Amino acid sequence: MTKLSEGAIEALSNGTGGNDAVLQLVNIRKIDGGSGLPRFRVMMSDGLHTLSSFMLSTQLNFMAEENRLAPNCVCILKKHVTNILKDKRRVVIILEMEVIKSAEDVAGRIGEPTPYTEGNGSQQRVLQSSSLGHRNKGFNRDFGKKAPSAMPSTPGDNSKVVPIASLNPYQSKWTIRARVTNKSSIRTWSNSRGDGKLFSMEIVDESGEIRVTGFNQEVDKFFSLVEVGKVYYVSKGSLKIANKQYTSVKNDYEMTLNGESSIIPCEDDCDVPVMQCDFVSIGDLENREKDAIVDVIGVCKSVDEVTRLTTKSNREVSKRTLNLMDMSGKLVTVTLWGEEAEKFEASGQPIVAIKGAKLSDFGGRSLSASFSSTLMINPDIPEAYKLRGWYDKEGHAMDGQSLTEVKGSGGGLTNWKTLSDVKTEHLGHGDKADYYTCIATIVYLRKENCLYQACPSQECNKKVVDQHNGMFRCEKCDKEFPNFKYRLILSANIADYADNQWVTCFQESAEAILGQNAAYLGQLKDSNEAAFDEVFQQANFNTFVFRSRVKLETYNDESRIKATVMDVKPVDHKDYSKRLIMNIRKLAAQ
Amino acid sequence: MEGILDVPKPRITCGMLSQYIGRPVCFVGRVEKVHPTGKTFTVSDGEGKIATVELVCVLDEELSGVVEVVGMVSNKGAIMASTYNVLREDKGIPFDLELYAEALKVIHEFPQHYPFEVAASG
Repeated sequence: MTKLSEGAIEALSNGTGGNDAVLQLVNIRKIDGGSGLPRFRVMMSDGLHTLSSFMLSTQLNFMAEENRLAPNCVCILKKHVTNILKDKRRVVIILEMEVIKSAEDVAGRIGEPTPYTEGNGSQQRVLQSSSLGHRNKGFNRDFGKKAPSAMPSTPGDNSKVVPIASLNPYQSKWTIRARVTNKSSIRTWSNSRGDGKLFSMEIVDESGEIRVTGFNQEVDKFFSLVEVGKVYYVSKGSLKIANKQYTSVKNDYEMTLNGESSIIPCEDDCDVPVMQCDFVSIGDLENREKDAIVDVIGVCKSVDEVTRLTTKSNREVSKRTLNLMDMSGKLVTVTLWGEEAEKFEASGQPIVAIKGAKLSDFGGRSLSASFSSTLMINPDIPEAYKLRGWYDKEGHAMDGQSLTEVKGSGGGLTNWKTLSDVKTEHLGHGDKADYYTCIATIVYLRKENCLYQACPSQECNKKVVDQHNGMFRCEKCDKEFPNFKYRLILSANIADYADNQWVTCFQESAEAILGQNAAYLGQLKDSNEAAFDEVFQQANFNTFVFRSRVKLETYNDESRIKATVMDVKPVDHKDYSKRLIMNIRKLAAQ
Repeated sequence: MEGILDVPKPRITCGMLSQYIGRPVCFVGRVEKVHPTGKTFTVSDGEGKIATVELVCVLDEELSGVVEVVGMVSNKGAIMASTYNVLREDKGIPFDLELYAEALKVIHEFPQHYPFEVAASG
C-alpha cells in the first residue's frame, strides 16, 4: 500500500510546508469559474486528515478533464501556493501534481482520515442529527470516516461544542473546544505487568477546566499535535472520577483519550480563556494545610543558582529556589526541579505564576513546583498586571516577610531553634539526624585534647600513630610519614537564654571560633603555652549562629545526644532582629 | 543638662514626641537639613516623619547620615539636644532605620517586657 505523507494536510493548511507530499485524492468537483473557465476543487487526504480547500490551477484542468484525477488516486504535490482569503480561509492552489498511482490501482481510502478543521465559523455546518447524545451512530460514523461526495465545502467539526463543565461519564458523544494550559512530558513506566507511556494535560474553556491523560498509542497520536496555549476541539474521550491527589484542576471528572478520541486544532480561539487559576495570597498560605495543591502568583524577588543533587535512587536532579512576593507583603520560597529549574530566566524580577504548586511545611511554609505544576512567567492575565503595578509603586521597596525560614544568604532551609527546644522536641531521637540553627554564646571551650595529629595526605584526616622513631603511621592509607598535620576537635559548651549544650566542632568551625588555624595552634601549644591559653580566652563569650546536627548515639548501652557543629557564622543582626520582631508579633497574635 | 545622663531615656520616634514633652529621650534619625546658623537641624525617623533638633552649641562640622540624639523634648515638640553621636555609615553594617522603627514599635507595645528604668545597682 502506498504510504501517504501524514501531517502534510496540517502543514498545507497552516502554510508551513507540504512540498512533495504524497496525498490521496478523495474527491473532485467542478465549479464554474467566473471567467468562463471551469475550476476544479479537490479534497485531498494524507491518511490522517482530509482537506477540501484545494483548487487545481487552471493549467492543470486537463488532468481533471482527462479523468486522470479520480477519487482514490494517489498523487505527489510537486508545486503549490497557499492563498489566504478575506475571511481568513486558506486555499491551496495546486500548481503541479503528478499521479503516481491511478484510482484503479488503489484499493480504497488509505487510512481513516478525519476532516482537518480550519476553524472558520461560517464553514461549520451544524448537523442537526449529531447533537450530544443522539443515537444516530450510523450517520456519525459515515461522516467521520468517509466524506460523502457532495462534501468538499464543510470540513468543520461534526457536532455542537459543549462546555467542559457539562462533561460526565454517562455521555460519550460530545465535542469540547478548549485551550491547553499545561502539558506534561511523556512519562514511561515499566513494571511486572509491562511497559507503557503516558502524558497528561490540562485544558480550559469558558465553563471550567479538566485534566486529560493519554496512554501508549494515544501518546503517539496526540503528544506532538498538542501545543500549550493553543485551542483544540476534543471529542470522544472517556470520563471518570478524578484523582484529586495530583492535581489542582477543579473538576470532579478527568478524561482519558482512547482509540476513538480526536483532537483537532481550532483557529477561532479568542473566546476561550487563557488560564483558569484560583490564586491564593501568599500571606494566606500559612493557613493552608501542608501538601495542599495551590495556585500562586507573585513577583520573583530573587532567585538562586541552579544546584544539582543526587536523590536516594542515585538519580541526579537539578534544583533551583526563588522567592515570590505578593501584595500581602509576604515572601515564600518556591523550589523548581529538573528542566524548569535549568531553563528559568529570572532577569528583571518577573511576575511568576504557578498553577498546581505543592505547599509544604518545610522551613515553615514553602512551595514546590511538581511535574504537574505549570509555571508561567509574566503571564498575560489581569492579576499579573495588578502585581506589576503594585510592585513598581511600593512593592519593590518592601523587604517582605518570608514564610520560609531561610538563613542569611538564602541558602539551605533552616530550622531556627533555641537550645531548650532541642531537648523538649527530642531532636535527634528519630532514625535520622536532625539539623537546626541557633544563635548562642560560647561559655566554655575545652582546650585539653582539642588537637590531634592527623595523616598529612590531602584527603585523609585519620589520626596517625606515633611510631616513636620519627615516623607516623596512618592505618587508613597504610603508609608511614615523617610528618603529620594538626587538626582540631573542639569540645565547647554554648548557651542561650533558654539552655546550654555541649557540642563538638571540627576543623573549619573550630578554626572559625578560635580565630586561628590548626597548624598555628599546634605550634603554640608546643612552644608558647601562655599564648595558646590566650587564644581560648579571647574566643570565649562570643556569640555566633550555629548550624548543628544532633543525633542520639548509643555507646556501651548508654544513649546520649551528640551535637556536632556543621557551620559557624557571625550573627547577622539585621536578620536576627527581623526574625525576633516576627516571632514577637506571632506570639502577640496568639 | 548633666542630670540627663543618669536618667532613663526612652527611645522614641516622631510620632511619640508629643507624649514625651518635658522628658529626656533618645532619638535616632537621619539628618535631613542643617540650618545655616548651625544651631538646629532636622532629622527623619524610620517612618519618614521629621523632627527638629536644637543644639546648645553651634555645629562645628558638617553633619550627615544617621545620628543618635539625647535630649529633652520641648513644648513645641523639638528635641533640645544635650549630646549627639553620629552612627558612621562607612564602618560596619549600615544602620537600618526602618528596622529600628519596627523594633521601637515592639518596645512601646509591650512596656511590661521592656521597662525603661535604671537598674538598681548593689
